[in-house]
Amino acid sequence: MKDNRIRILYIDDEIHNLNAFKAGFRRSYEIYTANSAQEGKQLLKSIDVHIIIADQKMPVSTGVEFFNEIKDTLPDPMRILLTGYTDVEDIIDAINKGHIFSYIKKPWDEIELHRTINNAFEIYNTRRQLKEKILELEKINDELNRFIYSTSHDLRSPLMSVLGIINLSRLDNSVTDPNGYLNMIEVCILKLDGFIQKIIEYYRNSRLDVEYEKINFENLIHECIASFRHQNNAIQFEVNVDQPVDFKGDTFRISVILNNLISNAVKYQKPDESHPQVNLSVKVEPHKATLSIEDNGIGILSEHLNNIFKMFFRSKNNNKPGSGIGLYIVKEALNKIGGTINVESKYGEGTLFEISIPNRNDFDS
Amino acid sequence: MISIPDLRVILIDDNEVDLLLHERLITLQQISRTVLAFNNANKALEFLSSNISLPRIPPTVLLLDIQMPEMDGFEFLEAFYSYPAKIKSQCHVIMVSSSLDYGDLSRTYANPMVFKLLKKPLLASELKNAIMDIFRDQ
Repeated sequence: MKDNRIRILYIDDEIHNLNAFKAGFRRSYEIYTANSAQEGKQLLKSIDVHIIIADQKMPVSTGVEFFNEIKDTLPDPMRILLTGYTDVEDIIDAINKGHIFSYIKKPWDEIELHRTINNAFEIYNTRRQLKEKILELEKINDELNRFIYSTSHDLRSPLMSVLGIINLSRLDNSVTDPNGYLNMIEVCILKLDGFIQKIIEYYRNSRLDVEYEKINFENLIHECIASFRHQNNAIQFEVNVDQPVDFKGDTFRISVILNNLISNAVKYQKPDESHPQVNLSVKVEPHKATLSIEDNGIGILSEHLNNIFKMFFRSKNNNKPGSGIGLYIVKEALNKIGGTINVESKYGEGTLFEISIPNRNDFDS
Repeated sequence: MISIPDLRVILIDDNEVDLLLHERLITLQQISRTVLAFNNANKALEFLSSNISLPRIPPTVLLLDIQMPEMDGFEFLEAFYSYPAKIKSQCHVIMVSSSLDYGDLSRTYANPMVFKLLKKPLLASELKNAIMDIFRDQ
């Protein structure tokens, strides 16, 4: 296991120190020696060492000066200073200037030096592993960004073409389709597209920086309702916004939260309900906004209430199509902006979600 | 039906299916009698520069895709920006894309040369409304 050996460069102008070091440590480490800073620098050009030990008191340039010189070109090797006299000024200087890991008094104590070398190598290894992990993470991050981009484009683009073809076939009546196969294709495509959109939403929520801007809840809620109303025109929406003060928050995440909850309130209605109803209320205070979304839909079984915010959890007692990701995204988005959510539900009667979001407006106090 | 008799629509999209779809849609809905389809933004630029010799450039709507190989929609707009006013003033750009990428969308909204962004699948009603909005004040 040659690669696991610790490689050390030891620089000292006294030849007998170099020899003594070699004799004492060559069985444990791979040792290179140089008798001047100049020679040491020459050696470092061809050999990659983990640890450099240098004597402080050398002619031409001292150990500290040497470490200081190589600090920028060779930041990785751990540096140990060997000094014969315990001059505090020297040591302080060494630590401040040369990024020195440790200093050892001469004559060295063999056990102490062994321990210092091993500690230094451990730190060297940890730093190297950390660097590798950072590189790896950067690469994964980069791939993830490209993946999201290609999901949002390459995966979606052919789906939109299929929808376009279905639309066109209806316009020109060129396809005989007595069994309604085209409608079935459309339903499937829309379901798949809904799932792609949720995935993109999830990644955008987890990666986008939080940005605070002024929010008008009245407008935001009506925009959300407008995009779901057509799914069930029978639903009565009652909107109650009490916004006496400005509210600042993250528009993207708050609309993700509202969109998912309103979409659920619309989707999970009882098929035989004669007065399907969704009530939305917002109360803005200087430090928070409280939102509630209430429906008289199918409700959630009490044993499922603890699981609804988990990824890919789907209630089995309804036969509605769902991806099991919507409420998980709601929870994640709330985590990002420091909000909380509570749910109350009676199976067969309806569901109430209550959300509290901090107001990021800085009022003059 | 849109009452601009010499209106022409230029389609720029690398997706052949979408080109065909949009061409059929425009013809079926009698939005325009002239539809020119290009599967490559460079070819569309070449065609538009050849228009300079025409005595009069007809009112033109460009349906421009965002992501395309070689030259994408934004690169097309950048190149088209330097075209003479005689051509540019007659051309109105509608971006058409299936992209949900936030960067793509905000770049589209920010571009002063883009009249509107329509999402795929392109709906006849949305396209008609957009074209009517373009020529309303003219």
